[in-house]
Amino acid sequence: MIVGQQKSMAEIKEKLGPFSRVLLLGCGTCVKTCFAGGEDEVATLAAALRLAFRKDGKNTIIDELTIERQCEDEFIKEAAAAIARNEAVLSLACGAGVQMVASRFGKVPVLPGVDTTFLGVLEKQGLFTEKCLGCGNCIVDTFSGVCPISRCAKKLLNGPCGGSRGGKCEVNPGTDCAWQIIIDRAKESGQTDRLKAYIPPRDWRTSYSGGSRQLYREDHVI
Amino acid sequence: MTTTTLTWPSAGESFREPQAAGRRITIFHCASAIGGITLSEDNSELRTVNMPCSSLTREVVLLKAFEAGADAVVVLVCPEGACHYLEGNIRARKRVAKVKKLLDEIGLDGRRLNIYNISPGDRSAVESIIGQTVSDLVALGPSPAC
Amino acid sequence: MNGSRLERILTSGQFAVTAEVGPPRGANADVVTNKASMLKGYVDAVNVTDNQTAIVRMSSIAACAHVIKAGLEPVMQMVTRDRNRIALQSDILGAYSLGIRNILCLSGDHQTFGSEPGAMNVFDIDSTHLIHAVKDMKDGGKDMSGFEMDTAPKMFIGAVENPFADPFEYRVVRLAKKIAAGAQFIQTQCVFDIKRFHEWMKIAREEGLTDNVHILAGITPLKSARMAKYMATKVSGINIPEEIIRRMESAPKEKAAQEGVKICLETIQQLREIKGLRGVHIMAIEWEEKVPELVKAAGLYPRPQLA
Repeated sequence: MIVGQQKSMAEIKEKLGPFSRVLLLGCGTCVKTCFAGGEDEVATLAAALRLAFRKDGKNTIIDELTIERQCEDEFIKEAAAAIARNEAVLSLACGAGVQMVASRFGKVPVLPGVDTTFLGVLEKQGLFTEKCLGCGNCIVDTFSGVCPISRCAKKLLNGPCGGSRGGKCEVNPGTDCAWQIIIDRAKESGQTDRLKAYIPPRDWRTSYSGGSRQLYREDHVI
Repeated sequence: MTTTTLTWPSAGESFREPQAAGRRITIFHCASAIGGITLSEDNSELRTVNMPCSSLTREVVLLKAFEAGADAVVVLVCPEGACHYLEGNIRARKRVAKVKKLLDEIGLDGRRLNIYNISPGDRSAVESIIGQTVSDLVALGPSPAC
Repeated sequence: MNGSRLERILTSGQFAVTAEVGPPRGANADVVTNKASMLKGYVDAVNVTDNQTAIVRMSSIAACAHVIKAGLEPVMQMVTRDRNRIALQSDILGAYSLGIRNILCLSGDHQTFGSEPGAMNVFDIDSTHLIHAVKDMKDGGKDMSGFEMDTAPKMFIGAVENPFADPFEYRVVRLAKKIAAGAQFIQTQCVFDIKRFHEWMKIAREEGLTDNVHILAGITPLKSARMAKYMATKVSGINIPEEIIRRMESAPKEKAAQEGVKICLETIQQLREIKGLRGVHIMAIEWEEKVPELVKAAGLYPRPQLA
């Protein structure tokens, strides 16, 4: 899923300060699964903001609505009425959703309430970890199922750097060295020979480096 | 056992009497913790909410209690390890911790919200907790969000 | 042979001595010139670091040019952290045109350790790719895109290995990869744990790698007990045995540096006895002035004359 974290209360309060009627717009897909912007988080944030504004002597009205997701018009249009009756929208979707809502409702300020961070998984209870950078050319099978582009801090393709220690990365001792995992897995599956092969430089055009990307599926267009 | 269920009043609807300002307490308790204790219903200063499991005191529920006019909120749960639903009281503890922090961030003072582990049906513990909360409120004053 | 002095010393089977110079955090060329002048005659070549530990310093290529002017041969270090393949190739061409003949290819310390932790890193290619590219330029006269250059740089190519990093058994595989990609000499991270270094060299010999590449062991003289403890705990990839830390701690403060030099000389002596080891690389961090004394005391002075 796309993982993100709700912005701080201080930052959100500041963004909503100029308005007297705002809509907290939640998203029921990725941000719900990482507890940043789903229906529950919207309800909690709304209650906290009401208390905060009341304390400041303001009468800000906080409206709440959560739609399935904010990256598709089919669901965004359900929010039209709620958006129309508010002065601003705090979107708790990922960066993609915030922009989509902003583009569909140009006249209303659409503010981000979540900091979107990475493409990841729920590794274990409470722990989300980054797994994929969207390089556009997946060859994780070459590396025993571990991506060195997203999981090695130096994107090394030909083995670990000199800072790998005790299976951990030099950048953050809490992070596993991706290459240690690749080597361990290769050993487990008897494929250490594969590690001797020279992996050539990457063509980064398929990644973000080639510019903002598009996917056109003509087969789905009527 | 007499209990009151909290409905969600709109912002501004206060506990019954204006003189109760500064002394309004909402107590959430799980059915097991309260045991056979009776809490008075006709109390302008006290509201009690019976939860099937203390883990149901989700963040939004605790905040709504303050929105409804509480100056302090108490959560009563069984001792850890003795929860009827195994982890309910642990989840409640984490939720209370999160909301305390949120209350500090918005300037309401996290000390208005507290969680206590009590032996089921321990009447004197409940009375002492209520007494402590009332005395805390003398120092904290009325909730600034009322 | 038109090779660099370092290349000629190593290929003639003589024990090489290299040292290291860190460029200044400013634009004063004299800092480099003075350090180089101090080392002249005591080393065969001197490494010039490339924004080491991701701290902004005078560029390696510029500092190398100053080293050449001072009459000493540089080894230009090049990390892939800060520049993409366009800039790296461009700098290699520029370096060769300035008379630089040795290059050491590394990935580089992560930028979070340095003076600009918020900077974007590059890592367009890794150190193995860089070695490969420099080798292709030398052998085939072409750049990475396949373009035939009017004058192709022919560098003596080096890489680094750390026998003290994990995973241990993979380190030799990685070394083999770098040699296959074109590495001609290797400089290792500084050796304190001579036992582990012996093990690594043994595996390298068994794999036939010492016949295909010139390995120089890194060595750093300890100045104080505090330095020893700092390096052991805070610097990634360095192993210092308890025994050495104890020796540094037991020495009285005014005698600590002396003890550090003693340990360094003992290590050099032990290293010279290792079969397949072709030289030492002295990294006297913030203590470059000690190098002449060390080289002399280790019996490595004067440096050989070459035809």
